[in-house]
Formats: sequence, structure tokens, C-alpha cells
Amino acid sequence: MASFSDMMNITSKFGLIVLSLLILLRCLRSMLRERYEPEIWAYIRAGKERLPVSHWENILGRGRGADVRVLGPRVGRVHAVLTRNDHGQWTIYDVFSRGGVWVDDDRVPPSGLPVYDGARIILGETLIRFQELGPEKREKLEKKRTSAGRRVSPALTLLDLTAFQLFLLLQHALSAAPEHLPRIALGFLSLVVLEWTCFNLMRVIGRSGFEVETLAFYLSSLGMSVAASSTPEDMLKQVLLTVAAVLLFLLTGWWLRSLKRSAGMRIPIGVAALGLLAVNVAFSDAVLGARNWLSFGGYSFQPSELVKAAYVYVGAATLDHLYRKRNLFGFIVFSAVCVIALALIGDFGTALIFFVTFLVISFLRSGSIATVFLAVTGAGLAGFLAVSARPYIAQRFATWGHAWEDIYDAGYQQTRAMSAAAAGGLVGKGAGAGWLKEVFAANTDMVFAMVCEEQGLIVGLCMVGALLVLAFFAVRSARNSRSAFHAIAACATMSMLLTQLALNVFGSLDLLPFTGVTFPFVSRGGSSLLACWSMMAYLKGADNRRDASFAVQPGERVKDAPAPEPEEVEE
Amino acid sequence: MKKINRRAFSVLLLALLVIAGMVLYVMRYVDHGKDWALAFSRANSGSTGELLDRNGVVLASFSATRNDYNPDPEIRIANYHVTGDYWGRTGTGILSTYWNDLQGFSLLTGTTEAVDKSFSLNVDAELDRAAYRALAGRKGAVLICDYTNGELLCMVSTPAIDPADPEAVPEDGAYINRCLSAAFVPGSVFKLITTAAAIETIPGIENRQFYCEGVTEIAGVEIKCTGDHYSQTFEQALANSCNVAFAKISTLVGQDAMIRYTRDYGFLDGHSLDGIPTAAGSFPLEFVGDPELGWAGIGQSTDLVCPYSLLRYVSAIANDGVLCEPKLIRDGELSLRYRMIEKRTAELLGQMMSYNVAYHYRDTVDFGGLDLCAKTGTAELGDGTSHAWFTGYLQDEAHPYAFVVFIEQGGGGLSAAGAAANEILQFAVNR
Repeated sequence: MASFSDMMNITSKFGLIVLSLLILLRCLRSMLRERYEPEIWAYIRAGKERLPVSHWENILGRGRGADVRVLGPRVGRVHAVLTRNDHGQWTIYDVFSRGGVWVDDDRVPPSGLPVYDGARIILGETLIRFQELGPEKREKLEKKRTSAGRRVSPALTLLDLTAFQLFLLLQHALSAAPEHLPRIALGFLSLVVLEWTCFNLMRVIGRSGFEVETLAFYLSSLGMSVAASSTPEDMLKQVLLTVAAVLLFLLTGWWLRSLKRSAGMRIPIGVAALGLLAVNVAFSDAVLGARNWLSFGGYSFQPSELVKAAYVYVGAATLDHLYRKRNLFGFIVFSAVCVIALALIGDFGTALIFFVTFLVISFLRSGSIATVFLAVTGAGLAGFLAVSARPYIAQRFATWGHAWEDIYDAGYQQTRAMSAAAAGGLVGKGAGAGWLKEVFAANTDMVFAMVCEEQGLIVGLCMVGALLVLAFFAVRSARNSRSAFHAIAACATMSMLLTQLALNVFGSLDLLPFTGVTFPFVSRGGSSLLACWSMMAYLKGADNRRDASFAVQPGERVKDAPAPEPEEVEE
Repeated sequence: MKKINRRAFSVLLLALLVIAGMVLYVMRYVDHGKDWALAFSRANSGSTGELLDRNGVVLASFSATRNDYNPDPEIRIANYHVTGDYWGRTGTGILSTYWNDLQGFSLLTGTTEAVDKSFSLNVDAELDRAAYRALAGRKGAVLICDYTNGELLCMVSTPAIDPADPEAVPEDGAYINRCLSAAFVPGSVFKLITTAAAIETIPGIENRQFYCEGVTEIAGVEIKCTGDHYSQTFEQALANSCNVAFAKISTLVGQDAMIRYTRDYGFLDGHSLDGIPTAAGSFPLEFVGDPELGWAGIGQSTDLVCPYSLLRYVSAIANDGVLCEPKLIRDGELSLRYRMIEKRTAELLGQMMSYNVAYHYRDTVDFGGLDLCAKTGTAELGDGTSHAWFTGYLQDEAHPYAFVVFIEQGGGGLSAAGAAANEILQFAVNR
């Protein structure tokens, strides 16, 4: 007869799988099946037509890509950009149109002119009228929109996650050394407390979208389990880091509430990021080839991880900014400096992640495939130089696909990872019961294999799936986000994390060269955890479902907001 | 905004690549998962199992937490090259070769699946012990199989190690299985091949007389014999192991035919003993003159023979020319059979080997009640030492055993290897 612990072991194994699938499916359903009706901020009357203005940044023109399609004489494809600021003030910019733009008979300069309710706007030779929605009307429209979390209860999903965490704890209780158990229990219980505190906080401020947080907590739970298996003596540190990371997430989200503040701080943040990298290049400790660690006072951190969050932030931009400055020059220089600094440090994995993110951002911003091709060609040359200059990179390429031919040297980590991952089967050996944790860098570079070994392939795939769901969500949210800033930040975040995931997972499985980057949220490492959580705020910033995200200022606030400037101008 | 939203699909392209990569991984996992999982799992598989000899003696037993061997050190050492060890120090042991089969793996539960996999071998651990004792600390190899069904009853190679308590610096060559993984100068046992070739290529050879006065010249090169045999029949020449006669016979057969027979009887190729590869032998393949061919025909020159190949050959002779491919693993499957030697040739060889024992060998070694057919070999190594060989089979329905006993630099074939073979065979038939 099976013993009690055997029974618990089997129950928890299948429990973890079922709950993983459930959490993933519920988040997916909630994000993809719920209706994402656009917000409506104003109308444009063109002839007898009434066209809704559903973003804070809108292209006016006759092109298919225009947000408000105005068909009329001498209207360009992309004629003007109409924006709204945090205070509800509207501005129109002429984006190099041939026909010109007039507001109430004043020619609009490239620096823009304010637009008020009832304003007569002439695009080329076509007259349109701007009709702003009053707070009452807006509120009425807002109530018609579906609020987040109506179809799929976020509380129930969170309850599943809590059960998932308790099952993980149970498995550790069966395998861990007794002296580590209190700390491991503290780790998982603190996650439970943290997520429910977060959830209730959102409830209190009337926010009901919790999918991003749930998935991030799901991944963090796997990260907690990896920490408990590999470094149980450091659990307290992991707990403190997770708390700090969630606080950073909330802080970043709050920061993003104001578009002016967010967009305005791009340059200072960019400068700070470069400064951090400069410090890294100047004073860093070499750990196994890459000098990407800074340590002081007994603590060490990876500046390059924090720069990731800053990079996405700097890469995002508002639509008017994009159309007034039609080139990527500044951003390209910034990116090049980042990538060169990372190459100097020897962190080629991260350099590659930055590069892919650069491609996505520059494509999002310019829509130009040519730019992307140019960048790829340039990078190809740079990569060739790197490979010839650094023999250990060339060696990783040589090993790629041949890991099993050199299991004691070049293929050491990959073969161990593949072996352990396969040894876990679909259901895994149970938390703490694997052997890969004994191998160097198992809890960072080979973390996918470690999760597969201990929790099985299905949970491993769910771990990848969680980030895929977040990526779909980012794309979906971007459609209705108020500003291009939010859309670009959300999409860039997910491309960065997906690239990181691909390099981590496929590198350890010998499907790509081994680069030694971290798996978002799951790999051990404080800087990485902080960066990942803070970037989740970018996703929240793009989530414009009704009352969904704390990082989005609610529309109702408009009626309380002061609108002093327009009156001054009118007088 | 619309434009940017359209471009946002580039993120989905990345997502698609990730999905494609995962699909590729899952496909490879289904294909290779078992090999991957068991590649390093010696210390941590969840399976339990036992490796048993033909009588149920446990040679090795393992579970998720323990890897054990037989409690008797002598059994462990005598059977080391059969068992192998958990660390794969010797590549030819069952634990190395069949580890994947001994372990449980399923795609569902990975290596956690606690299956009980017992593996039975045809080997008799006690017979191995007897062979180990008979070798008495000398380097060598002993192989015995049942020629009627191919069951490999005895495989001992010395030196060996105690896998449960390995010495820090083991004796030189302790990890090499001399039965399977090496080939040695055969000396006169090679005359069994020359004899078969002569029977089939030289008409009336059985009735010819050969004259030996201790030395002969072939094309001006001297070939020395072990003694003065004077006038002798073909049969007597083999029993005398007369170099003069057999050097002459090989030149009569010719190099091409000698090569053909050596190859057809499986001496030039490596074989597979239930998946364990064995060593190939050698014979001069490039043209050599008659003197060198004479030397090659008596098992010198560049001749090398793997003991396992010799076992296959004598098994086939014993079984009227039909080889039952030896089997180490007792899995109930029948051994492969094929005719290696023509029936008449095999019969004649058998008669001559029987004559060898009756006419000659019994004077030196008392083979007791054994009805033995055999051939000795004393392979000169050129440094004054010689390998001792003794190979043959028992004409005994109850004990249809073919055997090879080889002692590296053991001295005289009959006095060293023959005596050891007698000791082992006596044990085997009286068990």
C-alpha cells in the first residue's frame, strides 16, 4: 500500500499540473475572450458622419492606417495628429501635411495648437468639427463598456494560484531538510500574503483586472520553488526581493498614470541607464567570462537587468513625438551605446536581447522594414566581429547542435539540462527531488530544465505559456491603449521577455547556442526579478479595459481635473 | 495608433518562434527523452532491479538509493567483466551496455517510474569463479558456451577488479575484457582454420603423408618445428602441431584461399555479443611470399585472433558446422543459427580434434572422464615468452560445451591452458 507521503506526492504532482493549466486557461480566457470595447473620448464630425476618437493619440487622414479617417479634398494619408493630455486638454499637430491644418482660422504650426469643443478644423480643404464629450456623457459611455474580470473571476484564479503554491510547499515539505523547512514555508506563505494584499488593494481602489499580476505571481512561485530547491538557505533574501519587486511594480504602475510624467522622463531615465552601464563597465567583477556584476557591501547586482526596464521605457514614445520627429536617430544611438557597453562587459546574451528589442521597437516606431534589415545587417557584421574576437563565443556556436558529442566540456550544461528535463517526464519528480540543482547555474541558465525535472514537462510548458499569454495580452491591449507610449512599452516588454525566454530555454536544450541568460521571473537573481516585475507595469499601463488597471487613470477623473489653460486662451 | 497596433503583430511573430521552438523540443523529447534521461542517471534513477546469473545468483542489484553487487568478493571479481559496474569503467559489462534497459523510463513519469527490471544472464557465476581460480592470478580469458543453443555459460577475463571495492590503481588492463575486446597471436590454434581450408581445397589431403625433420626451408627461409615428427599423416600432423607440415599445407592452400576461410569463419571481423561489440582479428591480407604465408598458416606472422571469434568457430565445429550465435542474456529468445562450416569438414575437424586428445594430450594432462576434442596453441611472441591457448569442445550430450582458454604469456598451450581448461571443465560437468 502506498504510504501517506506517496499519496501526497502523487496528489500534489497532478494538482500542480491541473492548477497550472487552469490558471493559464483562465487568464487566457479572461484576456482574450472578454470584450475590449474602445474608450471614446470625443467625436469628429465630418459632413454628416460622426467619427469616434478612441485614443489619446490619433492620426487624422484619409489613409487606412488613420485612426480617424477623414475623406475629403486635399486630405493627406497622414494629415494631422490629435492628442489629449492627462488633464483632458486636446492639441492638434500638423504632421508635414501638404494641405496644412487650420483651427478656427489659425494655421497650425508643427508645435501644435489647442483644440476645444466645437472647434472648426480644416484639413487641407476639408472642414471637420471637433466635439468633446462632457464628463457625464463619457461616464454614460464608459458604463456601457465591459469591465475586466466579469467573465472570469480573478479571485477564483488567484485561489487556484494559492492552491498551486500550497502544493509546491507540500512537495518541498516532503523532500527538504527539516532545518530548511521553516524558511521555505515562509517563502511560499509570503507569496500568498503578497498576492492577496495586492489583489485587495486593487479591489479597494476599484480595479478588477488581475491577469498580469496572477501570471507574474505564478512565475514567481516557480521561481520561489527553484530557490527553495537549490538555495534553501537564502529563502529570506528571495522573499525580500519578491516584496521589493512587487513594490517596484506598483510604483512603476503609479508612475505611468500620468502620460506627461512618463513621456517627459524618457531622457533622464535614458541618461541614468547609460550611467549605470558606464559604472558597470568601469567597476565590475568578472564572473565566468561576463563582467556583468556590481557588488558593494556584500550585495551584488546586475545593472544590465535594470537597464532592460529603462531601455523599454526610453524606446517608447508618444505618437505626436513619432510624427514630429520622423527619425530614430536618437534611439539608435542610445541602443548602440547600450549594446556596445554590454559587449564590453562580455554579456553577449543580454546584448542580443537588447538588439531584438531594438528591432521590435524600431519597427513599431517607424514601421520601416528597411530600417530593420539595415539593423540586422549591421548587427550581423558586429556579431561576426564578436565571434572572431572572443573565442569562447565561437566555441559556443561550434557546440550548438552537438552538445551530446562533448558531454564533459562544451556540452556539459546542455546535456545535463536535457537529461534532467527528460528524467522528469510529464509530471516531474517532485519539488526538491531532482538532481540538476546540484549542477552549476541550474537555477539560472538551466532553470527550464530544472522546472521540467521537478514539476514535469507540462508545468514547464505552462511556464513558457504564461509568458506567451502575457505577449498576446500586450498585443491585444495595445490596440486600445490611450497612447503609443503605452502600446510600444507593452509590446517591447514582451518582445524582450520572449527573446530572453527563447535564449534561456532553447540555449539550455541545445536548440540555440548556449548564452546563459535568465528566464524571466523564474531564474534566481534579484536584479532580474526586479526588472521583470517593474516591466509588468508597462503591460498594466496599456490595459484600457474599464476599471481594469491601476496604472491607467480613470476617465471619470476628468470632471475634477482643472482645465485652466483653455479658459485663459479663450479670453 | 492603428498603425502601431498593426505593427504590434511583430511581437506575435516572436511568440510564434517560441511556440515553434517548443514544438521542436517536445518532438525531440519524445524521440530521445529516454536516452537523454538515462544518460547521467546512474545515481538517481527511480528504478529497482537485479542482474541475475542462470541460477538466480544476484550479480548486481539497484534501487533509487542503493547500487549493490554480490556479497561475495570472489564472485564479484570473477564476474566483473560480465557485470561491469555502475560507473561504466569497463564498457563491455552488462551494467554499462544495458543500463538503459535496466532502468524504467516513460514519457509520463520520466525516470521516476519505479519498475522492477530483472535481467537474467546465461552465465553461471560459480563456473566463472572456477575459471577465475583456474587462471590463478595469470592474465587470461576463459569462454564456455553450450554449442547446441549458444548460451554463454562462462566469461572470465583477468585481471579484474572488485567493483564494490575498486583499488585506487587497478592492475594494468583490468578494465579490458580479454574475451571480447582484444585479439592475440593465436599460434597453433590457428591450424584449425588451415586444416579446414586444406580439407576443402586440397583433394585427398587426408591421405597424404608429411615428413618433418625439425626444420624446413620454404624459398630459402627456414621454418623451425617443435620437434622431429618424421613421417606423419595429416591427422598426426595436426596432433603433433607440426609447423613444417602446416607451413607447407598453407602454401598449398594459397594466400587467397587462406584469407577467404579466415574471413568466412569470422576471424577478421568484429561481432556482437548481445550488443556488446567484439574485437576483429587479423591475417596478412596484402600479398606475402610463401615463407610468410607459411608462418601465417601456423598462427604466427601478423595473425591475431580474438578469443570470442575462436569460441564461435569451435562451437560451429562441435555442432556439425552450424553456429548457434552465443548469447549472454537469458531473454528466452533463440540464438541465431547459420552454417559456418561444411558438414563434412566439421566432422573431419572434430575427428582430428578428438584424435589430438586421445593420441597426444592425454599423456600430459589427465582429462579424467571428459570426452574431449581440442587443439592447443603456444604462440611465440619473439621475446622468449608465449601465449598459451587451449580450445575445443566436449562430446557429451549432457554437457555440450565449447570452450576457449587463453593465458597471456602463459607458457605451453597444453601444460598451462590445457591444465586450466581441464580444471574448469571438470567443475562444469560435475556441477
